[in-house]
Amino acid sequence: MGAGIHFFGIRHLSPAGAYYLRQYLEEKKPRLVLVEGPSDLEDQIENMTRSMTKPPIAILAYTSEAPVRTVLYPFAEYSPEYQALLWCHEHQVACRFMDLPSESILAIPDPKEQEEEAGEEGRQSVYKGLDQAAGEDGYDTFWERVMEHADSAKGYQQGANTFGAKLRELTEGKESDWTQILLRESCMRRQIRLAVQEGFLPEEIVVVTGAYHVEGLRSWQEEAMSEEEYASLPRVETNHTLMPYSYYRLSTRAGYGAGNKAPAYYALLWESLLQKEPLRASYSYLSRIAGYQRENGMPVSSAQTIEAVRLAVSLAALRGSQVPSLRDLWDAAVTLLGEGTFSAISLAVADTEIGTAIGALPEGVSRTSIQEDFYRQLKEWKLEKYRDLTAQDLSLDLRENRNVKSEKAAYLDLYRSFFLHRLRILKISFVSWQQVKQENATWAEHWVVRWTPEAEIELVEAALKGDTIAQAASFAMKERVEKAADMSGIASVIEDAFLCGMAEAVRYALTALQAIAVDAVSLEELASTAFRLSVVIQYGTIRRLDASPLTPILKQLFYRASLLLPGACVCDDNGSKGMKGAMERLNTVDLAHDFLDREAWIGALRETADRDDLNTKLSGYAAAILLERGEMDTERLKLEVNRRLSKGIPADLGAGWFEGLAMKNRYALIARLSLWEHLDEYLDTLDEEEFKRALVFLRRAFADFSPAEKDSIAENLGEIWGLNVQQVSETVNGPVSQEEQELLAGLDDFDFDI
Amino acid sequence: MKQEVLRLPAEQLFQKEIDALIAAEKDPIPTGWKMSPRSVRTYICGGKVGKTVITPKYIGHERLVEIAISTLVTDRALLLIGEPGTAKSWLSEHLTAAINGDSTKVIQGTAGTTEEQIRYSWNYAMLIAKGPSLEAMLKSPVFHAMETGSIARVEEISRCASEVQDALISILSEKRISVPELSMEVPAQKGFSIIATANTRDKGVNDMSAALKRRFNIVVLPSPANLDAEMEIVRTRVEQLSGNLDLNAKLPEEDVIAKVCTIFRELRKGETLDRSQKVKGPSGVLSTAEAISLLCNSMALAGSFGDGKITDEDLAAGLQGAVVKEDEKDLVVWKEYLDNVMKKRGSRWSGLYKACKELNR
Repeated sequence: MGAGIHFFGIRHLSPAGAYYLRQYLEEKKPRLVLVEGPSDLEDQIENMTRSMTKPPIAILAYTSEAPVRTVLYPFAEYSPEYQALLWCHEHQVACRFMDLPSESILAIPDPKEQEEEAGEEGRQSVYKGLDQAAGEDGYDTFWERVMEHADSAKGYQQGANTFGAKLRELTEGKESDWTQILLRESCMRRQIRLAVQEGFLPEEIVVVTGAYHVEGLRSWQEEAMSEEEYASLPRVETNHTLMPYSYYRLSTRAGYGAGNKAPAYYALLWESLLQKEPLRASYSYLSRIAGYQRENGMPVSSAQTIEAVRLAVSLAALRGSQVPSLRDLWDAAVTLLGEGTFSAISLAVADTEIGTAIGALPEGVSRTSIQEDFYRQLKEWKLEKYRDLTAQDLSLDLRENRNVKSEKAAYLDLYRSFFLHRLRILKISFVSWQQVKQENATWAEHWVVRWTPEAEIELVEAALKGDTIAQAASFAMKERVEKAADMSGIASVIEDAFLCGMAEAVRYALTALQAIAVDAVSLEELASTAFRLSVVIQYGTIRRLDASPLTPILKQLFYRASLLLPGACVCDDNGSKGMKGAMERLNTVDLAHDFLDREAWIGALRETADRDDLNTKLSGYAAAILLERGEMDTERLKLEVNRRLSKGIPADLGAGWFEGLAMKNRYALIARLSLWEHLDEYLDTLDEEEFKRALVFLRRAFADFSPAEKDSIAENLGEIWGLNVQQVSETVNGPVSQEEQELLAGLDDFDFDI
Repeated sequence: MKQEVLRLPAEQLFQKEIDALIAAEKDPIPTGWKMSPRSVRTYICGGKVGKTVITPKYIGHERLVEIAISTLVTDRALLLIGEPGTAKSWLSEHLTAAINGDSTKVIQGTAGTTEEQIRYSWNYAMLIAKGPSLEAMLKSPVFHAMETGSIARVEEISRCASEVQDALISILSEKRISVPELSMEVPAQKGFSIIATANTRDKGVNDMSAALKRRFNIVVLPSPANLDAEMEIVRTRVEQLSGNLDLNAKLPEEDVIAKVCTIFRELRKGETLDRSQKVKGPSGVLSTAEAISLLCNSMALAGSFGDGKITDEDLAAGLQGAVVKEDEKDLVVWKEYLDNVMKKRGSRWSGLYKACKELNR
């Protein structure tokens, strides 16, 4: 079957495929080349073959209406399809896309989106079977060994066709998108038939398509989509554009075709094919890693690189192959250049396998979907009047507006907030968020909005991150999570994800937080992270997001903080400030939620309050918290005061403890007369030197008491000393006299080291 | 006759397998080797030759075995690095057994190893009586290996003093040994190489110089790749050991092995097996070898003082001892693990959880 048509089965993004396809085209000299690509995107061929165009590039088709669905066709220089287009351009040969139009592809619900698991599994198991049969450790390695290192056009073509046919046999009917595959092939057959009807002889046509489809296309004479069927295909309104692409995105989009995890390495393969030196890619790969290591200050000798090549070759020989595959090279690099560990060369490997190449397009060619999405949302959320060069204020009330009918209108401001926050995450200067601390900060937001040409450029740049604002924001947050060095960095992403209303990003960041949570972190960081999470959990409902996934991790962090607390209280007075804040925050968190391990927290506070070898101020503060929460009774307090302020305890320690105790719930303290009696007795026991010392600390402890509080203390003291309350109050609250000033100045020079 | 030798060298223990592989050889054999690289792989990783079943000697990580073999094909020296208990010496013994049929050319690296033990030394009585001569010379295993074109093993290389390590540099780069006393030089025959092993936990004891490291291909041996592989290793070794040691206890149940291996793996890797949760690791290694000895200990406990069946309490005591080595910090790690991971595992684990928790009251 096939009736003379030349079919060339390929794998997308295959250097050998691209190389041998060109040879094949030279040999057959066709008058028409049909390429697997949506037929309504044909007008992009001209732009793709312009000399200013530098791959990697991608054609992007997207629906004009929300929800935006997109379909993307990336091309690298070594894409067989791209080389076919170039060849046609160079030889003035007609070239067409023959696949189902993108407007129909986007109109048909993608079965993979619904039952991704099942379909993928089916295919995976087939691939797995293939690997095992070939004794390789991965489908990519298998393909590279068998196909990319093929040594002739014929070998490649036959190999690819056999492979495609076999794969088809194994998966026929099992793939979840099988109906779509049949539909696409039927459409492709129609295109072939149309071309023949037009007057091209079958021998003059070369069809470039995925190896999988070759068997499906041979029957173009017998069965093809009729005109009626074609006309009745579902269609949606779509736009499309050419956009610059990057190797990085190429490597992350494993779902497309057969995947291309190491684009920069494949570019090396392409180069070695052009130079007709099969081992060139191996040399380049290993030398590049060596070069990268040297540039970054890690010594790697040429001898090591040479040995690495030898090892790779001998690893390949163990598999009966002449040319090392990426896996062999990778192992050789780890063994020799990384001295056995991958982490030593991970950056170099990423640079060499993925690289940073970004494509380029002639000016004015690109109108990306993210721009479309932006303008669509601007309209949808009634924000168009803000697209202006003058800065405007925008205040949002996130609460439900009960005076309107539709759900969308009721939460208009919330949706606006999501949109604006997403733009903020993408660092698009159109928006700037005015953070204010005020009562209603949980449901009110203030923004300043101003449109500039720069914002448009930033928007286009964001296209590299995703096809819609939401996708791009999610990607940006993922990047931030990956780069985050500490916990609070990730916690801030979780906060942002909540602000953006993106549940998926919350989940992702949460996993990362969980991962980093076990590493050594300071208690202060634990506390501030727990606090942030706690706030999100408490106020998440206003953003209509389910905060329950956060509770297990908050529990874990909190439990950990409880375990660490006593140990972390060994610090000097400088360190105690941060620790005090941490304790305060943890206590607030504990009070806000009832699912936390309260017992552990109170236990930790007790231990901190009881132990004598910790920072006394923090011990005092722990006692204050316990007191406030009613976990310490008067008896116990009395005992503790006796112990802490007994004779023989250095004055700075005793007074430091009292300072800590006085940092919280002062009224409770003031009201306890016995406490002041103890303090009084304690001071009496000190000699003059000690008294001066204690004075400094006590003065500091009382420095920020309000006059009214000082009044009450005076009242207490008056009672104890049998003095007139008024008089004491006047003395305590009155300005410091000249004489006293001098005395105090004398204390400034007090040498604490004596 | 009952076998009296405590431990036979690998090539004698697996004589049959080696013979079968040699007999069935089809691929080209490198000079100085007894079988082709592929057959060596089969010997180590297991398989079938004709009717002979080749038992796997090293489970999991076949790719590393391939790298090791390829290294020796390219006449480079091989350095196996890993945590204690990751079968470094085991692998090196079996490699030499398969390649040369002789795994006995070994130098054990210790703080007391001298340069002479690497190169050659003298029979001093004969040296004084007759002067320097070939007969008076005591050749080291490395010397022998060079002469015969085979592979010598150096165990725990990082425990040797650096001058001893340096003696290897010239041997590895010049591939010859000079004997100035006899004014002669002995060149290495084709097939000569060295397999050294080093322990990652010994880092800093006598760190290897960059010059020496550069002369080795370094393969890092990881802990077993997955739970099944580790359980397999633990089960086989516990069975062998309990037989040898006459422990009088029942072999641990599958479930017990699974629990120990799960806890060890999770603490070692720093995450739960389903990867859903990270956990903090303790300061110790928690190697497979430790899991084996923990189970043997529990068996001894159960056999000598209990009813011969390992209970949760036996296990909890063993686990506590294995995990908590540097009291304070490890204890926090262990408690966190108990509460964050084990507690949530449901009824199958609750007995063990309670027993462990009880110990930490």
